[in-house]
Amino acid sequence: MEPVEPQTEVEVTARESQPEFGVPSTAAPDRRERRKKPRTWETPPAPVPPPRLDDYKGIVGAADIDELKFLARDLTGKTLKMVNSTAVGGGVAEMLNQLVPLLNELEVKTHWDVITGGNDFFEVTKAFHNALQGSEYNLTPQARDVFLMHNELNRQRMQFTEDVVVIHDPQPAALIRARDESPRRWIWRCHIDLSNPNPEVWGFLRPFIEQYDAAIFSAQSFSRQLEIPQYLFYPCIDPLSEKNKDLDDSFVQQVCDEFGVDRSRPIVTQVSRFDRAKDPVGVIQAFKQARKYVDCQLVMAGGGASDDPEGAAVLKEVMSAAGDDRDIIILDLPPWCALQINALQRASTIVVQKSIREGFGLTVTEALWKGKPTIAGAVGGIPNQIIHKLTGALVHSVDGCAYQIRYLLTHPEFARQLGQNGHEHVKENFLMTTNVRRWLLLCRILLAGGAK
Amino acid sequence: MTTSAIAPNLPRTAVKPFYFNTSAHLLRITRQKASSLGEFLDALRECPEGSIFQHSFRTLQEHHFIREGFSNDFAHWALSACNEPSLAEGLASVDVREFTSVAELRERFVEIVQNFLQRNPAAGARPAKETFYFCASDTVVIPANFVAHTLQEFAEGLRGVSLHSVHHHFIEARLRLKLMSNDFSQWLYEDMGLTEAARQLNRIDIYTGTLEDVRNQIIRIVERALI
Repeated sequence: MEPVEPQTEVEVTARESQPEFGVPSTAAPDRRERRKKPRTWETPPAPVPPPRLDDYKGIVGAADIDELKFLARDLTGKTLKMVNSTAVGGGVAEMLNQLVPLLNELEVKTHWDVITGGNDFFEVTKAFHNALQGSEYNLTPQARDVFLMHNELNRQRMQFTEDVVVIHDPQPAALIRARDESPRRWIWRCHIDLSNPNPEVWGFLRPFIEQYDAAIFSAQSFSRQLEIPQYLFYPCIDPLSEKNKDLDDSFVQQVCDEFGVDRSRPIVTQVSRFDRAKDPVGVIQAFKQARKYVDCQLVMAGGGASDDPEGAAVLKEVMSAAGDDRDIIILDLPPWCALQINALQRASTIVVQKSIREGFGLTVTEALWKGKPTIAGAVGGIPNQIIHKLTGALVHSVDGCAYQIRYLLTHPEFARQLGQNGHEHVKENFLMTTNVRRWLLLCRILLAGGAK
Repeated sequence: MTTSAIAPNLPRTAVKPFYFNTSAHLLRITRQKASSLGEFLDALRECPEGSIFQHSFRTLQEHHFIREGFSNDFAHWALSACNEPSLAEGLASVDVREFTSVAELRERFVEIVQNFLQRNPAAGARPAKETFYFCASDTVVIPANFVAHTLQEFAEGLRGVSLHSVHHHFIEARLRLKLMSNDFSQWLYEDMGLTEAARQLNRIDIYTGTLEDVRNQIIRIVERALI
């Protein structure tokens, strides 16, 4: 097996010896030869302006966009403030970057504020974040003080004059102290899984949360019993983003050529950072089992190995599990490779997301949107997306995953139907336009006195 | 409604226009959840009516693209999480169009689960593979962009509105009307005098096709009435 060369940010690993059972690929060019070619994806692309509402008409239909306009009509002149802890990086900032312009276009004037804090604050909130998702943590009086002090500084710095204030995640949760006697509505949007929180941290935060008018969770199973109404907002993808927009087949081919993926043979792909929660080694084991009976290649496209020691360790384990199998293509990609990820997903025959722990699992949403038959672990928010045998296949083990790979590769008509259903499921429930609809609905319901 | 022949001297313009509306739904997570069939039966009895509506009527809209094998969330959970195919079959056979009130629908589901647990008492405490979380639907009705004064305009509206609107008028409507019918049939019958077309619409099977298929069947019936 070739070692990973850490001097490159993008590492393409193709195997040079023969696989144990599979048919050797003749289409994949030699790795060193490929490296002589210019690789445009090694630098970040220029940012793309956010889409306009009408840009979605071709995807969801004019009637759905008209419905958003009707829903927004009663909110004209109302104002909304979103508050989170970061302007760039992470799923929340990415979502707000798309949502806020769309709400403004619908004349629901929406401001986005970001809280500030020192390293001490963000160390505490990172620990809270992990603790709320089940990690061990000893909540000290000092950590409480740091959390409360920075929330108080932000409360003093910020103004809350809007009709609806939405606080995202635990970091700014104590801003609810700014609540006064006005009819202003306060919403707490929780993006993390609270199903098994550290009792000390949750016990500390809960009194703040219960002062809100409503809480929003990303999946039913992530919620807690609370004294306030709780709503379900599934996370969403933007069908016009680099990660999800339609691509010319010539571009898909170009990406496959660059990465040594042979489109004349079935392609099984898992896209996820190199993290044990995604069970990348289990995917390789399942692939090797399946390939005893069906010809296929495996693409493991991920990231996080260059800036995360644990990610690098997991990548090593993955390389070791792959051995000298040249049908396993391992790609450690930088975060700006959205177009390349998109192309790899579109080139795939089957997409796998064999997670053993998961948040909502937006990589599953992306695969379903592209009409790909998808096999995924039945954890986190994945069962909301995959209805077993109707919109994909849920699995609980390596053996189950191997079987589903074999089954779907040998039953293409069934696989096609799963992919088609999966696409429609995303269109109905997990697109940015649906997210806009939910925000409009919740604002209407709350401002009409429908909660608390 | 009678099922007599087409009324003579059809009016060119409807007595009252048909205003296409649509309903937008927001999912609320309720307090009820079930990790076994015993808990499920208790929750079925206690949950708000909005939950029964959500997991039967509304889920058909959320999964409107599935042609076969999906009837309601309760049946799906009984099969996928409890591995009880006979219970799932019983729950799946409940046709929401036979109910004009959510209370009656709840009674039917309770009766099916109760009877199953009486025959299979050991199944009540067996842990399910996944918890069932009862959600409820908060609904806002909004106008769609279409008004029909004539059959021609009605067909255009049917083509142009969203599937949410089709669901609102064709499936959810019976809960509003308290009739074994739907808004489209009522308008065709009462305001256009098209008794047969109204009757044919009521015979469309919503469980053996997608909602888009249902829309196309409605349009075909209306187009035939246009000739």
